[in-house]
Amino acid sequence: MLLRQHPILTGAGSSPTAKALAACLLGATLAGCEPAPEQPTRPQIVARAASLQPADPLLAERYARSCALCHARDGSGAPLTGDAAAWAARRAAAGDATAQPLVAVRQGLGAMPPMGLCPDCSDEQLAALTRFMADPGPRP
Amino acid sequence: MKRLRRSPLRRRLLQAAAGAAWAGVAGAARAAPSSPSPSPSPSPSLSPSHSAPPAVAAGRQLPPAAAPEPAPSAARAWRNWSGLQACQPARWLVPADEGELARALPSLPAPLRCVGAGHSFSPLVPTTGTLISLDRLHGVGAVDPQRRSVRVGAGTRLAVLAQALHQQGWALENQPDVDLQTLAGALATATHGTGATLPALHDAVLELRLCTPDGRILRCSRSDEPALFDAARVSLGVLGVVTELTLRVRPRHLLQRRVWLERSETLIDRVAALASTHLHFECYLLPFTGYGAAIVHDPVDAAIDHPPSADEDVLRDLRLLRDWLGRWPRLRRWVAQRLIDPAQREQAVDWSPKLLSTVRPTRFNESEIHLPAAAAARSLRQTLALLERRNEVFFPIEFRFVRADDAWLSPFHARDSASIAVHAAHDEPHDYLWQDLAPLWAPLQGRPHWGKLHGLRAAELAPLYPRWRDFARLRAALDPQGRMLTPALRALLTGADDA
Repeated sequence: MLLRQHPILTGAGSSPTAKALAACLLGATLAGCEPAPEQPTRPQIVARAASLQPADPLLAERYARSCALCHARDGSGAPLTGDAAAWAARRAAAGDATAQPLVAVRQGLGAMPPMGLCPDCSDEQLAALTRFMADPGPRP
Repeated sequence: MKRLRRSPLRRRLLQAAAGAAWAGVAGAARAAPSSPSPSPSPSPSLSPSHSAPPAVAAGRQLPPAAAPEPAPSAARAWRNWSGLQACQPARWLVPADEGELARALPSLPAPLRCVGAGHSFSPLVPTTGTLISLDRLHGVGAVDPQRRSVRVGAGTRLAVLAQALHQQGWALENQPDVDLQTLAGALATATHGTGATLPALHDAVLELRLCTPDGRILRCSRSDEPALFDAARVSLGVLGVVTELTLRVRPRHLLQRRVWLERSETLIDRVAALASTHLHFECYLLPFTGYGAAIVHDPVDAAIDHPPSADEDVLRDLRLLRDWLGRWPRLRRWVAQRLIDPAQREQAVDWSPKLLSTVRPTRFNESEIHLPAAAAARSLRQTLALLERRNEVFFPIEFRFVRADDAWLSPFHARDSASIAVHAAHDEPHDYLWQDLAPLWAPLQGRPHWGKLHGLRAAELAPLYPRWRDFARLRAALDPQGRMLTPALRALLTGADDA
């Protein structure tokens, strides 16, 4: 961050405490403020993304030289491999046209160019890669 | 807010520089450009990357890939990272190896252009002919510890290269700000990092192989076809297609990053001194704030400690100030100076690739000029003043140093340089970046970054490059039909306006 914390810029009530309180109050009206299931920490999500790769050797090769450069790298802005919540949020925000990951990859999305840096991937391979990144399987 | 507890500006904030989007490179012969000595034999040992790459990514060795399958050639649209450049080629070619490339090139529809990560903002890639991706020509060989060198497939992305070298205990001598580019694309546009004693990436090339438009495979180095070597290291991809390179490397090393805020005026006064006392120095001037961020990286022997980047938060804050107070620049500066905490510091320790390169979520368009190092500080001050006449400006102005080299079309040819890079959000006007600043930079013999936005053509470029005519002769000898030239590149390099 560059600027000092200031209510004009940060918005009053946006502190973690205020946010937590607001979330609890909102949650209380909906679900009785029960404790949420344990969520992985950011370092855990990042470490897991860096450790995952498709089981299929050909897909693994394509993944390593294209998808992983952003989807296994914290700070890239891309949803990380295995971060189910991030992928769900993207899907929810995308709307109908790009709700299908294959469409998004083929057309490009945000900083991701068309074909997602994998110009030799077939549609089937792109679909398989996006499925893998969004849902690589259960945690160990 | 959690993000407000993060330290301020990290360097990578912007730039992304571009390096290059596409690949491409090739060569010609020295004394007799029309008859370069061919080396048709296939490249001996890096071949795993061509058929079953020793793919390395994310810190682990991957199992061998299955046998390559036929690559699709369906005509898919292309656009660059910022969205400014786009094209619909008639064909794509993603060759599995050098042989396939050599067989295909003579008969493919022209113009032939190579594409890498799409990180060039200038129109180097768009073609209505054939777009060539070198993504399957990737792979990193075993480092030769005696020669301190490594063979690399031209389509290998810098991030993958850095990781593969790290696993062997080695590293590049320097890294650019962004590392998604293919190696060939980064070299073809003279992509660089920062460091007054450190040259741009292409200076680390010891040898390269390239495929001419008529399908000949050439090999060159400082001792073997040196003219071709000097032309092909920075070629804008107009001599042919580079397929493989041998690079000079160094043992991997830890760096310590230190970042601090300083009043712009005093920081500009100190840039030369800071560049001479730190291995990597760069700074970002923050428009309409009165402050700049200084960033240094130096070798260190310490434990890794790498807090998350705050770059995106910084950029968001600067945009916020612009959006809210842009109409009132004095008020904007007054508010900024009361909200900025100059005591903020950032520090990190990590391996060199982890600190010097990154990926940039926020897209932008960019211009960058390379000036004689001794004259650059004054120009930096003028650049800041000129940009602050435009209330819409909020991106930091980036300032870096690059050592001289001897590649013919290198913007650093025979000249220690400092680079000023200016940016605009990808969805905002950007023409002013070059139009407003070019008159300021031209008297200093400024050479534009090949992959970034500029308005110079052959007549203006030729006097800036002592070997311009030599390059032109080699290019004509290697590609007499101009099959590697799009109308934009023809205008850039020959002055012919058929666009």
